[in-house]
Amino acid sequence: MTDQGPPDDATDDAAPGARGQPAGLGESVAESDVPDFRAARRHVLLELLRLAADLRSEGVDVPPSGPLTAARALATVGLAEKSRVEAALQASLLSSPAGIEAFEEAFPTFWHRLRTGLDAIVADRSGSSPGDEGEDPGSDVTGPEDPGTLPDAEAPTPEDGSGGGETEVLIPTERRHATGDRAGEPDTGDARRYSAVGGRERVQVPAGGLTDGETAAVDRFVDALATLPGRRRRGAPAGDRVDARRALRASLGTGGAPIDLPRTEPTPSELRCCLLVDVSGSVLDTVDRAVLLDVAERLTDRARQARVFLFDTDLVDATTEFERADGDPAATLRDAAIEWGGGTKIGAAFDAVRREHPQAVDRRTVVVVVSDGLDVGDEDVLADSVTWLSDRAGALVWLNPLAVSPAFEPKTRGMETALPYLDALFGFAQPADLAEAARQIERRGLGGPVGYEQDPRRRAEVGGEAE
Amino acid sequence: MSGDESPFDAVTEADLRERFERADYVADDRTVTTVQLALTLGRPLLVEGPPGSGKTELGKVLATAFDTELIRLQCYEGLTAENALYEWNYTKQLLAVQADEGTVADGDGDGADASRQSVFDQDYLLERPLLRALRADGERPPVLLVDEIDRADEAFEAFLLELLSDFQVSIPEFGTITAEHPPVVVLTSNRTRALSDALKRRCLYLHVEPPSLQTEYEIVRRKVPELDAAVAAEVCAVVARLREEAFLKRPGVAETLDWARAVAALRHEDAESLSTDEIERTIGCLLKEAEDVDRLDATLLEDLQAAAAAADDRLEAEPT
Repeated sequence: MTDQGPPDDATDDAAPGARGQPAGLGESVAESDVPDFRAARRHVLLELLRLAADLRSEGVDVPPSGPLTAARALATVGLAEKSRVEAALQASLLSSPAGIEAFEEAFPTFWHRLRTGLDAIVADRSGSSPGDEGEDPGSDVTGPEDPGTLPDAEAPTPEDGSGGGETEVLIPTERRHATGDRAGEPDTGDARRYSAVGGRERVQVPAGGLTDGETAAVDRFVDALATLPGRRRRGAPAGDRVDARRALRASLGTGGAPIDLPRTEPTPSELRCCLLVDVSGSVLDTVDRAVLLDVAERLTDRARQARVFLFDTDLVDATTEFERADGDPAATLRDAAIEWGGGTKIGAAFDAVRREHPQAVDRRTVVVVVSDGLDVGDEDVLADSVTWLSDRAGALVWLNPLAVSPAFEPKTRGMETALPYLDALFGFAQPADLAEAARQIERRGLGGPVGYEQDPRRRAEVGGEAE
Repeated sequence: MSGDESPFDAVTEADLRERFERADYVADDRTVTTVQLALTLGRPLLVEGPPGSGKTELGKVLATAFDTELIRLQCYEGLTAENALYEWNYTKQLLAVQADEGTVADGDGDGADASRQSVFDQDYLLERPLLRALRADGERPPVLLVDEIDRADEAFEAFLLELLSDFQVSIPEFGTITAEHPPVVVLTSNRTRALSDALKRRCLYLHVEPPSLQTEYEIVRRKVPELDAAVAAEVCAVVARLREEAFLKRPGVAETLDWARAVAALRHEDAESLSTDEIERTIGCLLKEAEDVDRLDATLLEDLQAAAAAADDRLEAEPT
């Protein structure tokens, strides 16, 4: 062990600081007589701790020794060049690409505060300036040890409203194309206001129609779900299970010794599907409405048997409308006087399926839910009904329009409640997303590691987009 | 050991840049600063990034640039301490014991002569990469490249901790071996699994991203000098355009170089611009997944050619 760095027990913060200050201030303070090194050192260290605390409150995993390493790194590179300071801090404070974005957001503030603070110290050498610099960040010194105590460290959670009442929901609309046409809403901000019992509107959508590629994507999704192994088994030379009965019978021919072991595999069945589409205002604003309807129609066409339910606060059986749609589901829905765009009560909707249409779901049915999971209904009802769905259905697949964003986490109350019961959770904003889901199911099966987090596009964005 | 401090203490940024330059390694400012920090602070450097972004190359270039030994440890699942650190030379031990019976333990009494020494001795030790890196006695400390650490299992990762923080290892029968000149340690990871916090805490972190068009152009010019300059610009522009697509495996710098060599090999002295046909025939150098290749349709090919045509303007527009 040679002494390449300062000793490890430099908790007194004198060591890194004492090395850091002369190097850093040398550039800007050359002409001034005696800059207040102690105040400057204190300022740099405080700003460093504050940066670390800020990063932690953004959810970045800053190692406990990160600020110490960062101080040493600053002592080496000096404080003169912005790009070098940035590189040094990034190397010492971060430990995964996930934090790069937060870092690049926080760094300019840090740099500005650092430079203005140092300039103030240089300009007025009496030492009074660092006093007021020191007061405010001083409270943050505890930050690295306990980021939870920082004010406003918690990200606002969108679902803290009580069930049933007026609730404000923040919806990040990350992908431009995911935004559908929105009828008659003047505000264009990212935060929109939804209520649990919002006003409804008639179905007004220009007939879109899918391109060939998009149709193929939906078909592929249906096929992928349909190739789920059923309960029936059929003989197969390379099956995964031994057919005990036939083996026993065959063994009679060899004097009771089982020589040949016939094997079986599960029979893939066609898709029987129950489609539950959330048509609340929040979903309709996130996905393209025409695409949503077209995909639902194509799915109904392609599957052997499909029930379609639309729900916002109420559940509507739209199976016949979709069967008769013939390319323009919006028109038939309009004719049937079905409205959409209200609030979201997912639990109540599922419960209505259980009470009114129990025959729609059986063990051969794949239930496909399209919803953003922003539930404002009763949590217990949702938990109960989703349990029933997952118990009763062959598989439960959730398509979440918000999950196409690389920043998506299933943290909303509805999503959190439902997640343990899902076989898979995929992002869905356009048919191409279904193709991606199909690809994963084909490769790994519904029991395998499939879901939005396995999407290579998401992984590429989370891992690589640091520009 | 305190007297002769590490030769890397005085490495300046300019010096490092020049050494990289001589080794034909095009590095951006962030990489240079981070590497300089790793050298002066004596910290291991953890390099992460997509495959083919030049992580391993960084380790190799460091060894070349400082004219020192490169000790490389390729990690894989099931890699054990025996493979990586040391092993007793059992054959030799056995022969020694047979030649002079009863000396497995330290000799007692009159056994002071050499033949009666323990078989757990330096002579019977087979050095594996890690131990070699610690005991290297060259003029400069060696560069230890622990490649693709994410492929090794977590037990091995934990085993590395002592080595990385103190540059020493403990051999039960033998004692603790401490490095006289701590090696320069470069770890690379493809992020196939998350590394433990304990490991990350001990390292400086460098995330390598796909280079900018300008940087990549410079890399291609240096590594594939036989390719015409205008065509090289087009090659880089096409790859940059391809990276915008949501492929399962996006082409890295290594793929760009492969492709540049392929294009250079197929051409005969003419400096025409890339044709769609040419792109399609050689796409195997860039896209390595059947599904990605399937997605290459006529529209995308047109886009790629358009990107190639606009290559010169983009290169001039971007600040160097």
